[in-house]
This record gives sequence, C-alpha cells and structure tokens, in this order.
Amino acid sequence: MSSPRTSSSPATAAPPSGASPASGRRRRRRLSFDRLSFFAVALLLPLAVYVVFVISPFAQAVYFAMTDWTGFTPEMAFVGLDNFTRLLGDDKFLRALANSVLLALVVPAVTVVLALAVASMVTVGGPTTGGVRGIRGAGFYRVISFFPYCVPAIVVGLVWAQVYDPARGLLNGILVGLGFEGMADFPWLGDPRTAMAASMFVIVWSFVGFYTVLFVAAIKGVPAEIYEAARIDGAGRFRTAVSITVPLIRDNVRTAWIYLGIAAIDCFVYMQAMNPGGGPGYATFVISQDLYQTAFTKGQFGYATAMGVVLAAVTLLFAGLVFLVDRLTGGAGDEGRRA
Amino acid sequence: MSTSKFTDSRLAQAALDRRTFVRGAVATALLAPLGGALAGCAVPSGGGGGAATGGAVSADNPFGLASDAEVEAVIFNGGYGFDYVEFAAGEAGKLFPEATFEVAPSTQIAQELQPRFVGGTPPDLVDNSGAGAIGFNTIADQLEELDDVFEANNYEGTRIADTLYPGVQDTGTYNGRFVALNYVMTLYAVWYSASLFEENGWAPPATWQEAIDLGAEAKKADKKLFVWGKEAATYYQTMALDSAIKSGGDEVRLALENLEPNAWSQDAMQETLTALEEIVAKGYFVPGGAGTQFTAAQARWSNDQDALLYPSGGWIENEMKDATAEGFEMTGFPTPATSDSPALGLEAVRAGSGEPFIVPSQAKNPAGGKEILRAMLSTAAATHFSETKLAPTIVKGTVPADGFGSTALAAQTAMLDAAGENTFNYQFVDYYGMNPDQLVVWNEFLSGGLDAKGLTQGLQRISDDIAADDSVEKIEVS
Repeated sequence: MSSPRTSSSPATAAPPSGASPASGRRRRRRLSFDRLSFFAVALLLPLAVYVVFVISPFAQAVYFAMTDWTGFTPEMAFVGLDNFTRLLGDDKFLRALANSVLLALVVPAVTVVLALAVASMVTVGGPTTGGVRGIRGAGFYRVISFFPYCVPAIVVGLVWAQVYDPARGLLNGILVGLGFEGMADFPWLGDPRTAMAASMFVIVWSFVGFYTVLFVAAIKGVPAEIYEAARIDGAGRFRTAVSITVPLIRDNVRTAWIYLGIAAIDCFVYMQAMNPGGGPGYATFVISQDLYQTAFTKGQFGYATAMGVVLAAVTLLFAGLVFLVDRLTGGAGDEGRRA
Repeated sequence: MSTSKFTDSRLAQAALDRRTFVRGAVATALLAPLGGALAGCAVPSGGGGGAATGGAVSADNPFGLASDAEVEAVIFNGGYGFDYVEFAAGEAGKLFPEATFEVAPSTQIAQELQPRFVGGTPPDLVDNSGAGAIGFNTIADQLEELDDVFEANNYEGTRIADTLYPGVQDTGTYNGRFVALNYVMTLYAVWYSASLFEENGWAPPATWQEAIDLGAEAKKADKKLFVWGKEAATYYQTMALDSAIKSGGDEVRLALENLEPNAWSQDAMQETLTALEEIVAKGYFVPGGAGTQFTAAQARWSNDQDALLYPSGGWIENEMKDATAEGFEMTGFPTPATSDSPALGLEAVRAGSGEPFIVPSQAKNPAGGKEILRAMLSTAAATHFSETKLAPTIVKGTVPADGFGSTALAAQTAMLDAAGENTFNYQFVDYYGMNPDQLVVWNEFLSGGLDAKGLTQGLQRISDDIAADDSVEKIEVS
C-alpha cells in the first residue's frame, strides 16, 4: 500500500519523528533489530498465544462437535452434523436454550435499570438546591452496593440457597414473622412458578453493585454544568436520568448490557449452586449445565461440545443483536459522536 | 487525505477502540461457553503408559511389582475421606520398602482424570466415586481385569476371594470383564431413631400399609413420616425400586436393568408407587423438599426429628454425625414390601458394594495399583476402615457385634446376616447416568405435582430414551 522510502542512512534506526510533511501515507521503515524485536514481543507473541490458546481450541471444539467422542479415549469417529440435528430434537436441551434466552433478556435489563437508578441517586440525584450531588450518605450506599460483587459467585449461590430454604431459610422466616403464614415451608427454588424468578433475583443482586460503580464512574465523567443546566430548565430526577444520563453514558450501558448478557447466558455457577439438578421441571436448567452433565456424567463429549458450539453461537448472536439494537435506536457509533 | 494529523489519529483511535471492544466481546463470548468443552481439547495421540519393568512374580509379590516402583493412586475424597487408602499404602510400603506409594485426593474424578485418560497417562489406582465419577460405559474397556487380585493371598496369607461377601465380583463386572473392585459394602435400608420409636411405642413398618398407619401415628405426634431434599429426591426411587424388587422378585429387576418397555409399569413397581402416592397425598412428607438442600433436609430427620424415617444407604450415620440428636440411636430396617409375603422375603435387602476402585491398563504401574488393593483387602486395613468410617467393607468378619459402638453399623451387620443370600443389587441408574433426569421427576412427584401415573410416564421415558439411543453402549443384565 505504500512505497518504500529511499533512504540515505541505512544503518540508523528509523527516527521517531519521521512524519512526512507532505502526505499522510505511511512509509515502510527499515527492519532494524529494534523494530523486529518490538514486532515479535508486541505482535507475534500475543498473536501466537491467541492462535494457540483461543483459535485452535475453537477449531478443535467445532471438530469435536462433529464426532462421537466419549471423552476418555483418544479415539473418535466423525459423525458430521448428527450431533446438531440431535440437539434440535432434544427436549431437555431446547428447554435449557429457552431458559438461557429468557435469562439473557431479563437479567441485563433489570440489572442495568437498577444499577443506573442507584448510580444516578448517589451521583446526581441529591438535593435540588446547591451544587449537583448525590443523596445524603451516597458514599455509604456506593460501598454497600458493591459488597455482593466481592463475594465469589459460588458463595453467593450457596448462601442464597440457604436463604431460600423452605423451613430454616431467612426469607420464609421473615415472611412468616410478618404474618404471611402461608409462606411457611414454601420452596422458592423448588416450585416451578418461582424457581426461575428467585434465581434471577440472586444473579441480579450479585451484579448490581459492580455495574453501579461502572455507571458512577461514567456519570462522573459528564460535566456537572450539563446537569445544572437541566435542573435550571426544570428537569426532575427521572427526566434527568432518561434524557441526560443515559444518552451521555450510552457506551457504558451497552458494554454493561453485553457483559451481563454473556454472564446470564452462562450463569453455570449460580444455577449449579442453587439447583444442581436443573430446578423443578427443569425450570432453571441452562445450557452450560446440560453441557456439563452430558460431558462428565454421561460421557458424551462430542455431543456436549456441540452444545458448547450452539452456546457460543447464541452468545455471539446476543452480542450482535445488542449492537444492532444500539445502532437502530440512534447510537450512531463511536466515531460519529467523538468527531 | 489532507486532514490534520490530530483528527486523523483521533479517528484511528476511535475506530480502534470500537474494534478492540468488539473483539474483546467476541472473544469473551466465545471463551465463556466453550471453557468447559475446551478443558479436554488437547487430544494427543494415545499410547504412552506401558508397564514398567516388573519384579519377579512370587507368592509375596503376586503382581510382580518392581521393588523400586513409583505407584500413584487418586482417591475420591468424599464421605470416607482418603486416609484409609494411605493406611493401606503404608501397609504395602512395609512389604516394598523401596517403592514409593503416593495417594492423592480428588473430589472431581472425571474432570481431573479425563485429560490423563486421553493422554494415556492415568494413575495406577483410582477410586472412581462421587458425583463427578467417570461413567463406566466410557472407560470399562480401558481397565485392567482384577481377577488376579481375588486369587492372590492377603497379607495374612488367606486367599482374598474366600474372605469376601458374595456378589462383589458381579457389581464390578462390565460386559463380562471384572474391572472395578467395590470396596465398601453399602446396605440400603430405611433409618430411624430407636429411642424415639421406643418412647412412643412405634414399630418399624414391614409393609406399605403399616407405613401408612405409622404416618397417621406420626401425625398425632405432630411429626411427618418422611423428609426429602432436592439433590436426594431419588433416594425415594431407590427405596421404591428396592421394595418392588423384593416384592416382585428378580424379573422386576431384570426388566428395569435391561431398559425394557413398560418396566416401570410392572405390578410390584406400581403397587409401591401407588403407596408412595398415598403417603404424599396424605401429607406425610415434610413439605418443601424440592427447595431444600439435602443435608438440611436430613437434619430435620436426624436432629430436629420432624420426620420419623429416612431411606438411605449405610453412609447416613457418618454423613450426619455432626447433625444427629443426642441419644438418637440410629437404626435401620429393610425397605417395606407391598405385602407381608414378598417374593424375596421380608428380610431381603439391597446390598451392593460401592466405591469402585479401578486400575487403568495404560497406567505406568498397574501392578502397584493391584498391590494397594491387596493391602486394602487384608484384615488389618479392612478393620481399620470399618473402625474409623463406621461402615462395613466387602471383607467379612471385620466388624464386631457392637459395631465399634455404632448402632447403625451394628444394624447393618445384623440386616446383612438376616438377609443371607437374599440380597440384590442393580446399577442401571448409575451406569447410564440417569440420576440427574430422574431427580427432576421425583422432586415433582414428592412435591405433589405429579401422581404415580405421571411419575411412571416420566421415568419410563428416561429409560426409553436411553434404550433408543444407539450411541449409548448397553449392558445386558441376566
């Protein structure tokens, strides 16, 4: 794409200040040891690591998905797309797929809305007189809301499984104490009507704090004058959040949405901790659990890998959809806003 | 392109940011779900292993273990721990002072050893047990036959086969090859508090009718008959299977094990399930089990005494050691039958050996794995196990009448002796990995969401699906 520069000083390294005054075209520089070693360390090495540890396993996984590998021998037979056609008729897998999709729809939405609400309150939602600031005790709430994120997911799952315990759990204890006698012995994680909602609540609970902090940082980056102007124009807290905050931190919201979606589509740890069997009537059974059972309990690694490939496809599709929706709803892309 | 350098780089920067982000998102998206599958992705060409140079075979060294061998054992670290294998390895070490015996614990056998099986470098001895055990249908072909262990003499000089309970070999035989040595004798029964029963003048029920009557008695005392936890709902399946098999005889078992159509609709099975349905319908189960963690549920029986009975294997006493009421006197009785003259007799119990120890053929030192087994089957190590774990091993006569002071262990020995030849066992649930699916149906049934008919349909479908799946290797049981 560019022509080699006719150089007069072959021995020296390319000068760092060698920007051409006349054209914006890049010029090829001498391949000195400096540059070569830089390429090797900064480009080739990461690329090699990426190829070995990311690309090649992907390729292998796609191949394994087309075999009948049991997982405990080096032998396997190629079966083409059989595993994938089998997935289409596998009720249990389809149920897991539906659950994962439901999680991907609900968890990010609820988490983002809650985290935005909390973030707004502790940064700009304070008293309407004086400078723009958060509510009283904002720092305290910020710290508190971050707590759940500091607890490992497996612990969160196990603790909440105890909270939801029908007889000894905190939740039913409180409900009965408040006079809801009918809630005694109610199995929150064991009733098909409540199991999924109860599980989602736990996932949301554990993520809200982190995304609150993320949004707080983003809102802090918005000039306070904008909020002051909005307030002078008579915007209330809700209007400010919807019309000022969200558009201005749109990138962060989108990022959060995607990461939350990925976590929700997977969510193996939470579900395995709360309902290792998949919940009442598979109400909380997700693809990653099906994959795990199929591989390690049933010894069908080929079939399980096919599930993994579908899971990857679903996740990619989700990320793609979020970008598409963002674009369609007016997120003109980063370049447009930044220029 | 005459834009200023500043704008140019800003634009490039912006584009880069977005791409990096997309790439990051894509990479994460792909990495997250595939993580599990990738764990086993490095598939080298097999081979490896190969027996190390052996020592001379003699009566003292029946497997020809080299004197300076390095032996590696990976032991499931569950309810029984792994120190009992260390003890046995220590005994073996006395015979082979120059050999090294390494005993490592693991709680995820399949996950941890899967790459080693694929790579052809498995350990010399594995206790393939626990929730993360390797399904036998996937590795049975890669295991050493263990007949020579039974033919060898133990450390006290007796032929090992002569010291064991009957049926041990059947449990570890897959497709005609005896490859898994199940070390612990597990007796499946229904457990209760002897002191509580005596206090109230209750008697352990021998039939389902008596169980239902006992449920009414329990209700008067403001207690329930049974309790269950979500991960252990299928303990009631075990109880139902045991009851149906002892009531209807061996053909009931064979139909189920061979995944025959309508196996779950056999009369004895249906009578049992209908009785359970009545118990559920009458509210004799502690409610909410589908949302209760199983040890918490078990504590409501052993500690709170909200329920009278709990069906389980003999490990229950050890498992609930820290959550058992003072003076509980845990005792067991054989699973109730559908009538008072069941086909196999009222004393019949399901007794199977568990904790399957395997010796992979590709291991470096299969002889070393067998040597540890020989040590474990010797009187000293077997007695040590029963004394510390309060469970019988497959070695007969190592538990004294007082069960080392454990009422449950004494009850197990008594039940085994009373049953005599009338013990049975089945493995189709574990062999085909059916438990996860069955748990879901059983949780629904015990919650009252399914009747006996719905339960039968659900269980039959699980069985039929496996029977119809060509990719699953079947085991013919006769």
